[in-house]
Amino acid sequence: MDGARRELASDRVSTSRWNRIVYAVRIAAREPTTLIGILTALLFTYLIIVPIVSMLTDAVFVQFGEERRAGGPAGTLTLYYLARTFTSPVASDLFWTPLFNTLSIAFGSIVLAVTIGGSLAWLLSRTDMFARKWFATALIVPYMLPAWTFALAWTTLFKNRTIGGQLGWFEAMGLTPPDWLAYGQLPITIILSLHYAPFVILLFGNALRRFDSQLEDSARILGARPLTVATKIVLPLMLPALLSAVILIFAKCLGEFGVAYVLGLPVKFDVLATSLYRNISSRHVGVAAVLAGSIMLIGIISLMVDAKLVKEARRFVTIGSKGSMNRKAQLGIFRMPASAFAALVFALSVGLPLLTLALSTVMKVPAQFTPDNFTLDYWIGTDVHTVALQTGILLSPDLWNAAWNSLSIVGLASITSGLLGLLVGYVVVRTPIRPLGTFLRQVTFLPYLVPGIAFAAAYLSLFAVPRGPIPALYGTVFILMLALIAEQMPYASRAGISAMMQLGKDPEEAAQIAGAGWFRRLVMIVLPIQKGSLATGILLPFISGMKGLSLFVVLAVPSTDVLTTFSLRLVDYHYTQAANAVVLIVAAIAYFGTVLGQKLTKTNLAEGLGG
Amino acid sequence: MPTINLRNVEKSYGGGAANAVSDLDLEIGDGEFMCLLGPSGCGKTTTLRMIAGLEHLSDGEIQVGERKVDSVNAGIFVPPEKREMGLVFQSYALWPHLTIERNTDFGLRLRKVPKAEREERVEKVMRTLGIEQYRDRYPSQLSGGQQQRVALARMLAVNPEVLLLDEPLSNLDARLRLEMRAELKRLHNEFKTTIVFVTHDQWEAMTLATTIAVMSEGRLQQVGSPNDIYDRPANRFVAEFVGSPPINILELGDQADGLAAAASRYLSERYPSLSQVSSLGVRPEAVRFTSDASEVKEGSFSVPAEVAGVLPTGGSWIIELVAHGHKLFAVSHELPEVEAGQSVTVWAKPKALHAFDASGRRSQAADALFCPPKVQ
Repeated sequence: MDGARRELASDRVSTSRWNRIVYAVRIAAREPTTLIGILTALLFTYLIIVPIVSMLTDAVFVQFGEERRAGGPAGTLTLYYLARTFTSPVASDLFWTPLFNTLSIAFGSIVLAVTIGGSLAWLLSRTDMFARKWFATALIVPYMLPAWTFALAWTTLFKNRTIGGQLGWFEAMGLTPPDWLAYGQLPITIILSLHYAPFVILLFGNALRRFDSQLEDSARILGARPLTVATKIVLPLMLPALLSAVILIFAKCLGEFGVAYVLGLPVKFDVLATSLYRNISSRHVGVAAVLAGSIMLIGIISLMVDAKLVKEARRFVTIGSKGSMNRKAQLGIFRMPASAFAALVFALSVGLPLLTLALSTVMKVPAQFTPDNFTLDYWIGTDVHTVALQTGILLSPDLWNAAWNSLSIVGLASITSGLLGLLVGYVVVRTPIRPLGTFLRQVTFLPYLVPGIAFAAAYLSLFAVPRGPIPALYGTVFILMLALIAEQMPYASRAGISAMMQLGKDPEEAAQIAGAGWFRRLVMIVLPIQKGSLATGILLPFISGMKGLSLFVVLAVPSTDVLTTFSLRLVDYHYTQAANAVVLIVAAIAYFGTVLGQKLTKTNLAEGLGG
Repeated sequence: MPTINLRNVEKSYGGGAANAVSDLDLEIGDGEFMCLLGPSGCGKTTTLRMIAGLEHLSDGEIQVGERKVDSVNAGIFVPPEKREMGLVFQSYALWPHLTIERNTDFGLRLRKVPKAEREERVEKVMRTLGIEQYRDRYPSQLSGGQQQRVALARMLAVNPEVLLLDEPLSNLDARLRLEMRAELKRLHNEFKTTIVFVTHDQWEAMTLATTIAVMSEGRLQQVGSPNDIYDRPANRFVAEFVGSPPINILELGDQADGLAAAASRYLSERYPSLSQVSSLGVRPEAVRFTSDASEVKEGSFSVPAEVAGVLPTGGSWIIELVAHGHKLFAVSHELPEVEAGQSVTVWAKPKALHAFDASGRRSQAADALFCPPKVQ
């Protein structure tokens, strides 16, 4: 009797336990958020983690065809590649010299960019300089243009007889620029610092604008002189912004490929990215993997240092100081010189390079400014006497083919990553399963740490051969698209996450109460409200994809030529005019794309680019 | 209209945090205007969201009319979009990309109500709330009060049987708040909807609710009419939370403390059976003070005090008194004839006293003695 009752009770407990599980499942399955989260997590594991891991493992396994050198059968573990990269007699050429070059370029660029950008940021945000508003936009333009645009402009001006092809302007005028001015460290440093100075202007300028003048006033009232105020009050509080800009420039320099490729190659000046590229193109997969891993490691360390330093420095930042006042310094007699300085920087970083490139495309012989030397043949001519390019660039089917490839590949990839970004944002903000959200956020950020060349190498290593159900993708547009989507996810998912954070739950819950199911809420409420950030999430990757070089240079083949690789090939052929014309077209697309984006979304996209 | 029944409802967010809601039993009657009152973080909004289905339960069940909408043990969960309730959010949560009219008819469109009827119903509810002239505007073009009306209209348009309101007046200025309170009361009378209203504002609760449920730290403290809550608080938390200026509490026992000693002596001399009582409460309106000790009514509790200040609040006065170093508040609706520094006798009739035991519960024994039922 007693036993029967106990049995009954335990029966009841077990049904109730079963029902509790039913309840939990019903809650979880109520919305497809979690399902979508799991699916996207799987997708990104495949698109991001697997390629990277697959590439990194190449570093410790004997590659096919290198059995004898590595001293073991293909596929066995080996330290050969690590030793070759770090300690062998060629290690200096493979790793240490490029590392030193990379670091010294990064250091030089940071110093220059902070000096130029910092003073401009101060002039723009805290003084009564002339035409501040105009300069505020104009001085950001260098970042909207591809960096190697400037490298090509530089060679157009300074190229000497060390390498073949058309002469540089100075050489043509009888002044032979020395190698150190024409190629290598100096020009690369100058170009990168001009290109990245906008980071400093944006990040440092924003911080300066938000700085409360009352903090300065209090110090002055207590008797501090302007210099003391600047060093003891302003600078310490500006440190986080400055540090962020510095680390950002460092991370970008680390992966910079195009500029070093154009200006370093002629004098065998290697940085890590070009050394990696050289090893990839000569099929030294193992060494390439070691190099890529090293670049990633330095990137990860620098970002961790950044996070730590910024956190450290933020302790002092006054939060929500209400009486925020921003008084403009009166420049007095320096008003004119200050404006002249800004104008000079603009002329050097935008005007001169673009003008040089533009002029070079309409001149037959460099630096000869006589009317008979000018021609539009290189744009629209039909009888250009070059082997591979018989017509002006605009009449060449190759250009249109490349342009179509660029637009379709980058466009499709950007739309996909924009939508995926919003989905990731949705899942991250909404999923009741915290670890899923964290995983998605981190995995989509991962490509940010991987330089484009290394990422391309990862894709090459994974998709060059058929694996499982996936056929060999090398040489198809799919590999480019997948790599682009993955590489753009950091921007897209960040845009998506911040947009969903701002939206909050309420509008959607209100729709839910009104009777709308999940899909209807997504279509009728979430997407319409988020169309602005969706546009940003598509446009930002689109612009960076259009300018991008490193992914394409590894993964594109002639049939999937895009504008950037097309122009690079023209450079290799020494078709200066045609190459420069293509570069100008890319620059124009990038610039007008940014402007259009700003108009459409009524936001300052340039600020988003800095992120 | 259905009644809403919450049984043993529990909500925990896990991770070792205290339960947001524990062991909640509450019945919300048909056509009732129920107010969930409590300080922030007491679980009242969580409770409301559980009724709406926006939060799921950790335990217990919720029944609306004959229909179980939530039951952990029976494995039942009806999603919010199928519960046919209305919820007005604290932030209003208007859809920024839709006009006022489209915001209002959203629910009707979802229910595929024919166009003619839809327009008629939207028209009616917009007119009732006085927002018909804004129909083509977007939410960002309206003021807070207007947005609040739209948020209400949007929910009323679908004629929900239950209307849930999450602090809907807290973002309005004082004047608008007063207007909207009257409006809500009128709407409740007109639509006969069961309303559950969450607020931390006792005045709102007092003026609007037919029944108030006071919550603290996830637990229900007392359910009753506004008068019950004010006049017969079930425990010290309710007594102290409701009322402004707050109720005066006299702790008993400590002989070193003059006020405590006086109160203890009073109680032990007149009501020796009330040994369990550990504190006494007196509402400020019931605190009397006089410079003439002979005016003190026989049998009252009295103690000498000094007037610390007289604070006019317009129409009434708050008198700050200090007795044996303790601050006491009195409220007078006539100009008090005392001034700061003056010595007075403070007193209160026994029926104005609230007695609580050591655990803070109201003493029923004391109620019977302080306020004996009148013999006919």
